[in-house]
Amino acid sequence: MDNLGLQVERVTKRFGSGDTEVVAVRDVSLVVNPGEVVLIMGPSGSGKTTLLLMLGALLKPTEGSITLDGLELSAMSERKLPDVRLRHFGFIFQDFNLLSALNVLDNVAFPAELTGVSRRTAREKATAVLTELGLGHRLRFPPDKLSGGEKQRVAIARALINDPTLILADEPTANLDSSHGHETMRLLREITQKRSRSVVIVSHDARIKDIADRVLWLEDGQFMKAIEMATDPICGMAVEREGAVAGVREGETYYFCAKGCRDEFLAS
Amino acid sequence: MTASPVFAPFRAVASAVRLAFRNLLQDRLRFALSVVGVGLSLMLILFLIGLRAGALRSAVVYLDNAPGSVGVFPPGTKSTSAGSAQFLAPETASAVASTPGVARVTPILLTLGLADLHGKKEVIKLIGYDAALGGGPWSLKQGREPVADDEVVLDRVLAGRHGLRVGDTFEIGGRRPTIVGLSSETSSWTGSYVFALRTFVEAVVLAPGGASFLLVTPEPGTRISELSARLQTLEGANVVLKGEVMANDREAVAGIFDRVLLLMVGAAFIVGALVVGMVIYTATNERRAEYGILKAIGAPGGVLYRVVASQAVVAASIGAVLGVGFAYGMGWLVMAARPQFMVIIEPTSIAVALAAGFVMALAGALFPARAVARLEPAEVFRR
Ligand SMILES: Nc1ncnc2c1ncn2[C@@H]1O[C@H](COP(=O)(O)OP(=O)(O)OP(=O)(O)O)[C@@H](O)[C@H]1O
Ligand SMILES: [Mg+2]
Repeated sequence: MDNLGLQVERVTKRFGSGDTEVVAVRDVSLVVNPGEVVLIMGPSGSGKTTLLLMLGALLKPTEGSITLDGLELSAMSERKLPDVRLRHFGFIFQDFNLLSALNVLDNVAFPAELTGVSRRTAREKATAVLTELGLGHRLRFPPDKLSGGEKQRVAIARALINDPTLILADEPTANLDSSHGHETMRLLREITQKRSRSVVIVSHDARIKDIADRVLWLEDGQFMKAIEMATDPICGMAVEREGAVAGVREGETYYFCAKGCRDEFLAS
Repeated sequence: MTASPVFAPFRAVASAVRLAFRNLLQDRLRFALSVVGVGLSLMLILFLIGLRAGALRSAVVYLDNAPGSVGVFPPGTKSTSAGSAQFLAPETASAVASTPGVARVTPILLTLGLADLHGKKEVIKLIGYDAALGGGPWSLKQGREPVADDEVVLDRVLAGRHGLRVGDTFEIGGRRPTIVGLSSETSSWTGSYVFALRTFVEAVVLAPGGASFLLVTPEPGTRISELSARLQTLEGANVVLKGEVMANDREAVAGIFDRVLLLMVGAAFIVGALVVGMVIYTATNERRAEYGILKAIGAPGGVLYRVVASQAVVAASIGAVLGVGFAYGMGWLVMAARPQFMVIIEPTSIAVALAAGFVMALAGALFPARAVARLEPAEVFRR
């Protein structure tokens, strides 16, 4: 199938009408391939959250269509949406938003239980994901006994439990210090790449640019320019293609963090 | 293999209920308050119903223990509680006695009287009976039955309340009888029983030879319906089966009781529902964000509805059990302190209370649950 992944076609979202009309998202198109990590940045009020909500089928676009793995979300009835959200999307929120009454394990197992698997299976799956995220020793902890970084990893585990096609995160690092934020996002990238799952992150946090395959800049409801990322083949750093040191070898273009790396690469 | 479609819905319900439990237990104090609130309101309901049952029981306790199965009343009368001023003439009694199939006639002269017990007036039910024909106290705890005019058997609880003992006297209807015995099972807050010879009561009510009603014991093998038909032909006799009389007596008491009772039970019910509602409402509101998350991750509105409703049901069920316990305790306390009040908690009223607790829970949870089910998941992203 060639329509795997997420296809956003000419999506517009208007709130209100007449004098009070706000066009939060304006004629936006976007394709997110399986396994790709896309970061959407932009100033406050530019429509990032609105776009993310539409991608996650939490908000209906005024115009345009959104398709996930061939499933047209924008045309779906309200009754079917919960199940689609449950099985095809994983949400990560700024405030972590764990269920305070449940321990770590049950928080993560809950969405699996909602799909109708047995409690045991759900807990086994949850244990596996949590262990993968380095939380194997925190299974019985109540959320309020965790650090911010740990909470966000629990939230990631919860988003991953039903093996969704697309992970959506709104300001996932806003409540974390920079090193934790970066580390957490790196972990998210690692796990989703292993499973070939797509991630769309909305953030102000420029420090997580390097974990993204692509950075989009949203302004006034529209993408301004695509910031394409590349990995320096020598030092492994993520660099923006535009403005980076480039070098061509065997007809292919490579991007580097500095001249030193390019020279080393071309010499090898 | 894992997602068996048959069990899936039950599993989703189970996890909703589990979450409800955890949510409830997170704030123990609030949980305890809601449980106690429901418990107290159900206690009140059970207690009131028990009081009614007790009053109905004491309305018929005399007839239930008196001999005979067919009653003969003055025309137009068919219950003892009417407190009628009409009396059956002595000739009617003898006519009934000579009717074929009648083994025994027990004439009873019953009147409500005002007794002056050491300066305090109390309404009593004065029963005049013939020692030889029955209808006297069935459970004598002390002393003996009256054998002469101006001798009475007094209800034990009534006597106790006024510090009266066997050998003491009190005033009634301008006479001063002596207490010769104390009976049990004869107390009631609508008027306890006092037993005297019929001749004594005749003097009090100024109706020589009269009877309020006759209790007829048929001869063995007599068909009650045929006997009733024969008796009905007698001049000035209104024949009513004793069972019917008891039903009428119960109804008369229920008629006084039920309107007030219904009002109070309704109020207690509303208070209970409000307690559940308020607790569930605040608990739900506090977790708005969490419920929004649940919706965003794909929990359908029905699951959220269930989480909220089960919290109410769990709180109300535990409250209901507590309420039943409270009601027994309260009934016991009341009967120990004020024995004239009989509180009977029947299994059916327990079932009613439990059902009331359940309905209370659903009523209380209705608004919070609906609010949550309608929550916009997109809201979680904006704050
Ligand atoms: N429900 C709504 N009704 C009316 N206007 C809305 C609604 N939601 C968003 N908007 C408007 O749409 C625009 C985009 O909002 P959005 O929340 O998507 O921005 P954002 O890029 O996520 O901002 P931030 O970085 O501050 O989170 C804003 O002008 C906002 O006021
Ligand atoms: Mg936003």
